[in-house]
Amino acid sequence: MLRLEGIHAGYGATTILHNVSLDVRAGEVVTIVGANGAGKTTTLRTIAGLIRPTAGRMTFEGQDITRLPAHEVVDLGITLIPEGRQLFADMTVHENLLMGAYRGEARAKQKDTLDNVLSLFPRVRERLNQSAGSLSGGEQQMVAIARGMMARPKLLMFDEPSLGLAPIVVQQVFDVIDAIVKTGATVLIVEQNVFHTLRAADRGYVLENGEIVLSDSADALLTNDHVRQAYLGI
Amino acid sequence: MTDTTLDNTIPAPRTSSFPLKKAAALGALLLALLAAPIAIGDQFVAHIFITIFIFAGLSTAWNIVGGYAGQLSLGHAIFYGIGAYAGVMLMNIGISPWLGMFAGAAVSVVVAVAISYPCFRLRGPFFSLATIAFLEVFRVLALHFRELTGGATGLMIPLKFGWEWMVFRDRTPALLIAFGMLVLALAVAWWIRSHRLGFYLVATRERQSAAQAAGVNTVKVRLIAVSASAALTAFIGTFHAMYLTFIEPAAMFSLTMSIQIAMFALIGGLGTVVGPLVGALFLVPLSELARGWLGAQALGLHGFVYGVVLVLVVLFMPNGVIGILGRYFGSAVPERGTQSASVTAAPRAAERPPIGNDILVAEHLDKHFAGLHVTNDVSFSLKEGEVLGLIGPNGAGKTTVFNMLSGFLKPDSGSVRVRAEDGSWRAPLTPGDFAAIGVGRTFQVVQPFAAMTVEENIMVGAFHRHSDVNDAREAARETAFRMGLAPWLHAEAKGLTIGGLKRLEVARVMAMKPRILLLDEVMAGINQTDVRRAIDLMLFIRDSGVSIIAIEHVMQAVMSLSDRVVVLNSGQIIAEGKPQNVVRDPQVIEAYLGKEFTHAQA
Amino acid sequence: MDTFLQVLASGLMLGALFAIVSIGLTLIFGIVKVVNFAHGEFLMIGMYLVYLITAKLGLHPLVTVVAVAPLLFLVGVATQRLIIQPLMSARDDHIQIFATVGLSTALINLALLIFGADIANTPPGGLRMPIQIGPARVLLGQVIILLASAALVIGLQLFLQRTQTGRAIRAVAQNRAAAQLMGINVNRIYMLAFGIGAACVGFAAAMVAPLYPTSPTIGTYFVLTAFVVVVLGGLGSIGGAFAGAMIIGLIDSFAGFYIGSDLREVAVFGVFLLILILKPSGLFSERLNLSHVSP
Repeated sequence: MLRLEGIHAGYGATTILHNVSLDVRAGEVVTIVGANGAGKTTTLRTIAGLIRPTAGRMTFEGQDITRLPAHEVVDLGITLIPEGRQLFADMTVHENLLMGAYRGEARAKQKDTLDNVLSLFPRVRERLNQSAGSLSGGEQQMVAIARGMMARPKLLMFDEPSLGLAPIVVQQVFDVIDAIVKTGATVLIVEQNVFHTLRAADRGYVLENGEIVLSDSADALLTNDHVRQAYLGI
Repeated sequence: MTDTTLDNTIPAPRTSSFPLKKAAALGALLLALLAAPIAIGDQFVAHIFITIFIFAGLSTAWNIVGGYAGQLSLGHAIFYGIGAYAGVMLMNIGISPWLGMFAGAAVSVVVAVAISYPCFRLRGPFFSLATIAFLEVFRVLALHFRELTGGATGLMIPLKFGWEWMVFRDRTPALLIAFGMLVLALAVAWWIRSHRLGFYLVATRERQSAAQAAGVNTVKVRLIAVSASAALTAFIGTFHAMYLTFIEPAAMFSLTMSIQIAMFALIGGLGTVVGPLVGALFLVPLSELARGWLGAQALGLHGFVYGVVLVLVVLFMPNGVIGILGRYFGSAVPERGTQSASVTAAPRAAERPPIGNDILVAEHLDKHFAGLHVTNDVSFSLKEGEVLGLIGPNGAGKTTVFNMLSGFLKPDSGSVRVRAEDGSWRAPLTPGDFAAIGVGRTFQVVQPFAAMTVEENIMVGAFHRHSDVNDAREAARETAFRMGLAPWLHAEAKGLTIGGLKRLEVARVMAMKPRILLLDEVMAGINQTDVRRAIDLMLFIRDSGVSIIAIEHVMQAVMSLSDRVVVLNSGQIIAEGKPQNVVRDPQVIEAYLGKEFTHAQA
Repeated sequence: MDTFLQVLASGLMLGALFAIVSIGLTLIFGIVKVVNFAHGEFLMIGMYLVYLITAKLGLHPLVTVVAVAPLLFLVGVATQRLIIQPLMSARDDHIQIFATVGLSTALINLALLIFGADIANTPPGGLRMPIQIGPARVLLGQVIILLASAALVIGLQLFLQRTQTGRAIRAVAQNRAAAQLMGINVNRIYMLAFGIGAACVGFAAAMVAPLYPTSPTIGTYFVLTAFVVVVLGGLGSIGGAFAGAMIIGLIDSFAGFYIGSDLREVAVFGVFLLILILKPSGLFSERLNLSHVSP
């Protein structure tokens, strides 16, 4: 479904990703594991079109997306739920969700999607008319996920969904993600809680210093010595 | 430090020979500029050269503030006007402008400090707007106080000729004085740029917080820059008034003039010593000739050309003429690949100094942001010679604690106390206080001074201990060598990889020779194979007597480095103790390591 | 007492004038995050256009708004596309400041080249007719400006709150990266916002030109006050700009009467500097903080 071949990317003169190749098949849950600063977020932002790669090729369902700007990537059905929520703080929750369905097809089906999405997030329904900035961190993360789903994406990418949340809330967020995964969605996820994501994922890639150093099934990674030592602290 | 891996050879110093050539070229250019009008002997040509010298001088003075310090003043005509009015008003009561110019400069310095001090809080366009507003206030006041300034009718200078009055029938003496003013401005600008002050100004411009962490008093250095700039501008203002023989508020306190001054610097090359001169050299003749040839028909033509040139320069050559020239003498671009593999394996000291008494104590630190309780009653202490690990999930408040331990954030309540070298306890408040007492810190999000080379970046730290440039350079090289950055000394910092930047961050703080080191995720992004060497480096630093607090996610490093670990979650300390014990704490597993940690360990 | 009321009325009328000139400036800043130093020159262009259309075609100045506002919209779009957009990713603000300052200088001098330094008087079309409201006398044109600026504030608020495009504009203003992730073409929104901001000035020009003589430097005269208003009201806040304009209008009017007409500007800029330094987020805004906060 999604394929990256030899991607180089970075900010300004600083190159962060070096020759990153990975692929995600339809219906799969794939995770990228790596230390802070290894380039996980950069990878997701590059796929989303926020960063233009300096070399390499990206395709989605066979179509070349290497040079597409972010808004056209969204059109194709790729949605990134960004690190740190990134809600429109001064807009209401309802308005935030509507912005999620800004493009083409999703806009036409706005009402239906909204009902579907809200059934997954009862808490969000209660807060519809509050401004997004007034919500707690956990609620904001729920809104961010709900907003992402409003676009009716074919591929959903999560960037550190548990970042900065209290443990009890982290569990709720993971429950929601698990529920989304159970619907058969295709997911690419980056998360500091390596154990949990490797448990939920089918496959994983290990990113170090901007390079993929390992890729295997999630179960194999869980028992891999290098992974255990570097990321699980064992 | 006798370790010499191949790629750590220090490149031959090119900086010491380069300025000589530059200085010679500049000297030759200046002499040619002076000789040309004298040789030609034409009044109009002399006038053009005087105008070039005056504007180049004003622009050079402006560049100290606008270029080096990055404070884009659009009100510099205030100082020019003050110089002009002081000169003329004093001359009217029989005081020579040679003395008057010092009076004008003194007033300008006072005004500059009074204006700038509050305005330094403002960023970019708002600083510019404030300076424009001050300029308008001065213009209106000059119009209002008619008895002093002559109001809108302006002031004529009494026609007293001769060197003592700075007024001449002939152009040549004026040419010499204008040239002298320019040389003075260039000399001051060059001196500042090549000394500690210049490094501090550029560092402050590039990253204010990193400069503060390196012990730079960012307000003081900018006030010095503003004062020097204002004084030079006032000098030139006095002379220009004598040359024009007539002054009025609209011409002296003019926004157009302020913009022109800034524009020459931008077009020549912002923040370079000769840029303003080059800019004036290009544009002044252009506009003067247009005015001379086309006269009144072309009212506005030269301004139109100025405006269009400015927009085009900004769009297509934002580094000015000097930037274009610089490309031909391009700076070294660091090569990736070799960069990540060279943290010097530091030799371990034979013996580790024993852990002593408390050296830093944090008590009941509380901090709220927009209703969020970011840290809640956080208390802990660091002992001399100890390595304290600070761990916890992202967003737990670790970096906030660091900001309070280094003066970047003031706790809502609670205190931080540090034991000084003489054994007394102090409660530092500002980043400067913390740096002075020997607390150094790195930033999680790296904060390189992008426009500086690696060597210059480290020098900013080294200046904390050495006021002389050569000493600081020496110390910086030594540190760079130790940190495995030696091959990139002359590369621009912005070209380094993340791993390289992290090391630069540590190198800069190490060059300050701190007693207490706060390291914020310096292992992040470092190649796994390098983590071991990085750990050795930390141990070496520890063994040299530095006490360390490290925020770290790489558990391998936390476990092997830390004498003690403090675990923070949701702004509260949930565990503290020896690393082996802390990782078994059920609360820590729940909050940070993950429930599965125990299963996996089993 | 009557004098007081007269000064008060004049102050409010002046405030309305400042408001109508400032709304576009605050809109552009709030969304594109660029301080447009050439904003005054947009007004100047608009006023010359009004002058030309009324003088050559004999139309009533208020009618010209149908042509001038769209033309200014195009000027705004072009400025954003050709000058600001290439600089959006510039390392520091200096570059953008110089760009709009350069544009301002070029436009002033272009007007000097075309029209000369003499002032151009737009036919007033009856707008200079004084009308009596209680003890105070004001001009008909001033009352129209007051009503028009209020209508503009309400209209823009409705547009931003109620329409999908308006919401997209707000989304971009609040969080550019997130807006991109929603599929919003951010560059298009910026062009639109700059265009609307400039069109507001075109709208203002049709009402200002009949009352004030047009000259190449008229923009500088207004824009400095507009900056004061915008900072006072909280940058980016349309309602705040309206309130700020009224306050500045009153300060100007009262200072002019009670302190001396040549010192009005000192009072206005004094307030400006105080606000900038003491409460840079403006009187009516809690969020925006313009002072330097270290990351």
